Amino acid sequence: MTLAWPRVVGPRVDARDKATGATRYSADVESEGALHAAVVRSTVPHAEVLAVDASAALAIRGVTAVVTARDLERRFGDELCGRRVRDMPLLARDKVRFPGEGIAVVLATTRRVAEDAAALVVVEYRELPPVLDALGALEPDAPRVHESPWRYDGAVVDPSDPPNLQSGLVEGDLVAVDEVLGRAAHVVTRTYRTPSGYQGYLEPQCWTASPRPGGGVALLGTAKAPYRLREQTAKTLGLALDAVEVEPAPLGGDFGGKGGVVDPTLCAALALWANRPVRLALRAGEDMTATDARHPSVVEVRVGCDADGTLLALRVDAVFDGGAYAAVKPIPSANLHGMAECALGYRLEAFFVRSRIAYTTTVPKGHMRAPGAPQAVFAIESALDELASAAGVSPVVLRRRSVLAGGDRDAYGHVWDEARGTETLDAALAAGDAAPRPKDRGRSGWRRPAPSGWRRGRGVALYARPTAPPATTSLRLAPGDDGRLVVELPFPETGTGSHSVVREELAASLGVDPERVEVRQVSTASLPYDPGVGASRVTVGLTAAVRQLAGRWSESGGTEAVTIETGSGTEPPALSFCAQVADVAVDPETGQVLVLGVVTAADVASVLRPRSHRMQIDGGAVMGYGFACLEDLLEGDGQVWATNLAEFRLPTAQDVPSLRTVLVEGGRGVGPANVKAVGELSNVPTAAAIANAVAEATGRRFRQLPLTAERVFWALHGEAGEEAGEEAGEEAGEEAGEEAGEEAGEEEGPA
Amino acid sequence: MKLHARVNGSPFVAEVPATSSLLEVLRGAGLTGTKEGCRIGVCGVCTVLVDDRPVSSCLYLAGCASEADIWTVEGMAERAPSVVDAFVECEGMQCGICTPGQIVAVASMGPDVRDENGVRRYLSGNLCRCTGYGTIVDAALDAQARRRGEVAPT
Amino acid sequence: MTDPPSGEAAFLVPGTVEAAVEALGAAGAVAVAGGTSIGLLVGQGLLAPSVLVWLGRIPELSVLEEGDGQMSIGATTTLATLAAHPRVRTAVPALADAAASVGNTRVRAVATIGGALGHADPRQDLPPALLALDARVEVAGGRGRRHLAIDELIDGFMSTDLGPDEVITAVRVPLVDGRRSCYLRFTPGSADDYPTVAVAATAEVADGVPTAVRLAIGGAGPAAYLVPEAEQVEGAPEGRWAAEVAEVAEAAARRADPVDDRLGSAAYKRRMVAVWARRALERCLGADGVQP
Ligand SMILES: Cc1cc2nc3c(=O)[nH]c(=O)nc-3n(C[C@H](O)[C@H](O)[C@H](O)COP(=O)(O)OP(=O)(O)OC[C@H]3O[C@@H](n4cnc5c(N)ncnc54)[C@H](O)[C@@H]3O)c2cc1C
Ligand code: FES
Ligand code: FES
Repeated sequence: MTLAWPRVVGPRVDARDKATGATRYSADVESEGALHAAVVRSTVPHAEVLAVDASAALAIRGVTAVVTARDLERRFGDELCGRRVRDMPLLARDKVRFPGEGIAVVLATTRRVAEDAAALVVVEYRELPPVLDALGALEPDAPRVHESPWRYDGAVVDPSDPPNLQSGLVEGDLVAVDEVLGRAAHVVTRTYRTPSGYQGYLEPQCWTASPRPGGGVALLGTAKAPYRLREQTAKTLGLALDAVEVEPAPLGGDFGGKGGVVDPTLCAALALWANRPVRLALRAGEDMTATDARHPSVVEVRVGCDADGTLLALRVDAVFDGGAYAAVKPIPSANLHGMAECALGYRLEAFFVRSRIAYTTTVPKGHMRAPGAPQAVFAIESALDELASAAGVSPVVLRRRSVLAGGDRDAYGHVWDEARGTETLDAALAAGDAAPRPKDRGRSGWRRPAPSGWRRGRGVALYARPTAPPATTSLRLAPGDDGRLVVELPFPETGTGSHSVVREELAASLGVDPERVEVRQVSTASLPYDPGVGASRVTVGLTAAVRQLAGRWSESGGTEAVTIETGSGTEPPALSFCAQVADVAVDPETGQVLVLGVVTAADVASVLRPRSHRMQIDGGAVMGYGFACLEDLLEGDGQVWATNLAEFRLPTAQDVPSLRTVLVEGGRGVGPANVKAVGELSNVPTAAAIANAVAEATGRRFRQLPLTAERVFWALHGEAGEEAGEEAGEEAGEEAGEEAGEEAGEEEGPA
Repeated sequence: MKLHARVNGSPFVAEVPATSSLLEVLRGAGLTGTKEGCRIGVCGVCTVLVDDRPVSSCLYLAGCASEADIWTVEGMAERAPSVVDAFVECEGMQCGICTPGQIVAVASMGPDVRDENGVRRYLSGNLCRCTGYGTIVDAALDAQARRRGEVAPT
Repeated sequence: MTDPPSGEAAFLVPGTVEAAVEALGAAGAVAVAGGTSIGLLVGQGLLAPSVLVWLGRIPELSVLEEGDGQMSIGATTTLATLAAHPRVRTAVPALADAAASVGNTRVRAVATIGGALGHADPRQDLPPALLALDARVEVAGGRGRRHLAIDELIDGFMSTDLGPDEVITAVRVPLVDGRRSCYLRFTPGSADDYPTVAVAATAEVADGVPTAVRLAIGGAGPAAYLVPEAEQVEGAPEGRWAAEVAEVAEAAARRADPVDDRLGSAAYKRRMVAVWARRALERCLGADGVQP
């Protein structure tokens, strides 16, 4: 595939500043005379707040105020806040709904004083029954987390729904799916579970708000979607849109976690209230326990094939614990698009997907890298292996029979000109068999030997994801000093190299030296609109926008600044596949799972910056590995027990499997640069590939993540605990009689 | 207490609470290249050198830095330019929040750390959520090779 | 107006053990060595000392020397130094390996052997290794110096026998010709984590016959413990240890008193003690083909 125009890939624009400590992230920007905010957080899952005694805190030298919901209401009214569903107060009013919910804020001259004083604020509660289990929460007689959730602005439920439904999503045809499954030669019905998780970025969220001299407020901080934040802050505080200015800073990781609007709006409110700049910086532990965790899931899969292993129908019924508020969910359905799209990869005669998210009195759940997809694909791709074994065909054969090919109609009715499922799968399998190339230093040079006496297994999983045509964005190009060109961008650099892509694309389109192009990220006061980074859309959208910008610039003679705003694209989406092959070794005596290697085959079109592209794939696979084997916020009794990075372990350089990537090149992408999104691909199928490998190694099927040594041990060694019975050796292919509800209601796992 | 030390080669004096962390002291003095992440010694984004040893400045008591020779990422272009170059050239970063710590950690590696296993073990306490570590390990191996005077393999 | 609770503390840098002992006599004083634990506790607001007594500038405490059939390791010797020290690695590999596996590079660079014992967290690596090696600890205080075994020093969960003004000055490890030692830690999640269980074994093996077998377990009780049944392996002829080793491993598990936590349920840890005790004994006796 040749590129549409000549490009030069130079060093990343942000690299040297990042390598010398010069880059200013949100927490590095000091604001003269700012007060520091420390949040007093609920210690209980569900309670009425009877009294807040701040006298001891107020007596501390350096404390200027202790602010409660009442104070803010008096000034700003009682609008709630949220990205779509506006159901969350800036600070709890009368009632707290999760441990970690903000009740009051201490403002002080230093952070240390604010935090010390916050610890002295005494809150008197009258506890209410907690709602801790998502399935139970949907029962008609469950205690209510919210009295009338359908009344909230943006609500996607109505009074006839179960009391704690946060959002529901249905795709496909239930009648048809049951009819087709009824005549399938083999059907398996299985339930899979995943724990709540944390995005794991290493930069805690941080905000600085300053009242503007002419009125309104400026907000600087960890904002992945500055324009959307502006909208919500303005709405919640009753301000005009242009009275709020959001300045994004480079993000120290996002992965879906930095789109929240409640904390920054709180910070803005505090600054206006105090009429002074206010900084609200979260500690890592607060970020983990009180912002927007990944949804834990219970996913029931029912899937059937004919006698020779051709897939016929898929039925997926998922229940997610959405936590106390829907406020952090960014899409209009307030559900998870990974669920909506989960039946995409295969030819099916019928399918049905239902995804229900329940309110519980736990930390609100939000988005994390391909929201919903890791959970759904873990379940579906595990179930396909179970079905393969029931049908007596190999997992690879089963997938090859039905994976989408060019010209196929998918389950949703869309016909794809290009669908390279088989090619991608084959590429992964071939690479899995090949010897590592020594020049792949840093990855395949790193081989983990399988310890002797351990059982080996290999597993495969597939994921299909559409790349949507470019969404709306805006850019500005202006002449700078000494013949330089300054491009202004509406969103922060998250490290994907998007700013470098802009520079290189623009330089190439205008035929100038990239060194002459300077890229700047500007505040919401400067450009019309952008929906924010995320959903793998940045690079895809940018190339189209840059091209338009260059065209306009040339037309206008290139002497005065031009601003462009792109419309959302109309061309058809592209489809990418990702196939992974995982090799594992399992210690039969301890249950320890060592993931020796993960091969990722990615279906790509043009690759603009090969190293950045590779990091997306590697980083994704490592995140997928963490999801499979390590990461668990350990929510129990409504509390998050893994409250820091010693408890919630992220994979280290030493823990990760050997990674290899093969690019299945030559695909057809979207936009003028012909690209397929890559950011939310390789983290998705990893857990299923690993679980399938562990099943091969042990002869046992594990339907609950993470695959800890202890889980595997008890499955292999029978005794102690329900876990063994639940996990171990059910006969594949049998019809599981229980309803999802009953089965999923069982508690399991070690105390 | 009054802290006397050298930071990035220059004399440094500050009046600080004895219980403050070296991280607070450095950031408070405007050296914000060193980041605050976990604050419990696990993630490594706060790594600085104290008398040539890599430490988690988030839990290093300021007092224990008395009279010490401290180097932060801001000083790496001077003290370990080949490490900085290796990270830029190998693109050993994505969001960059872990990068200052990675670079300081690599600058503290002894010559005994030569191969990939050694690098991964040495850097295991410097977490990165973005890159999957491949390009960071590349950069570290490059830096070590440059330090040995070998031409960096590409 | 009052000052915030985490207010000012004095930071003292004594130059001798005697001066340190005197400084520690003050109310609210704590000893600081590498400061990795103290720094963490203070940073999290879990400890608010009024006097910090830093041991990092006391020459006597940093001596590492050999003589009289023992290795004397000054209390402020860092874990990185122990892990890399050629004599430690050859003479007492269990100690070098235990030191090399603590936390991460930055912890090992400054954390000290004295701090590792003073912290007394049951999940720590050094206590079982030092216990199996039959190390003794020299302690100095207002009433002079005394010597303690590891399981006398660490007398419970996060608890030591040290008086408020006492400091560990050195750890003495006996050097015995022909003694082998090994240390194994089980970290099934992340290698940087605390071990789920940890096991150290030592034995003298002459002509294939083991004597002086010691086995110590960490992570499976309020403190590291010895398994006296280990002596059952003594005297068994070469290659005929299997039954004894299995029995000792079961005894080690019976003595375990673990708790349920993130690293594993108590029941699981107990089972792992048996597995890893057997593996450590096999490694130490050379039965698994790997040089300890
Ligand atoms: C991120 C991280 C990971 C860790 N992982 C591990 C691990 O995997 N395995 C493990 O074993 N440990 C681990 N630890 C704990 C570590 O071992 C201890 O923090 C360290 O050994 C303490 O040594 P220090 O010199 O820093 O002690 P300090 O923090 O200075 O002191 C610790 C305690 O000992 C006392 N003390 C110190 N020196 C003396 C002395 N000479 N005499 C009397 N009392 C003294 C202090 O008063 C204090 O109570 C980890 C710690 C961190 C921060
Ligand atoms: S912030 Fe210091 S190690 Fe994480
Ligand atoms: S580059 Fe983002 S954490 Fe390492």
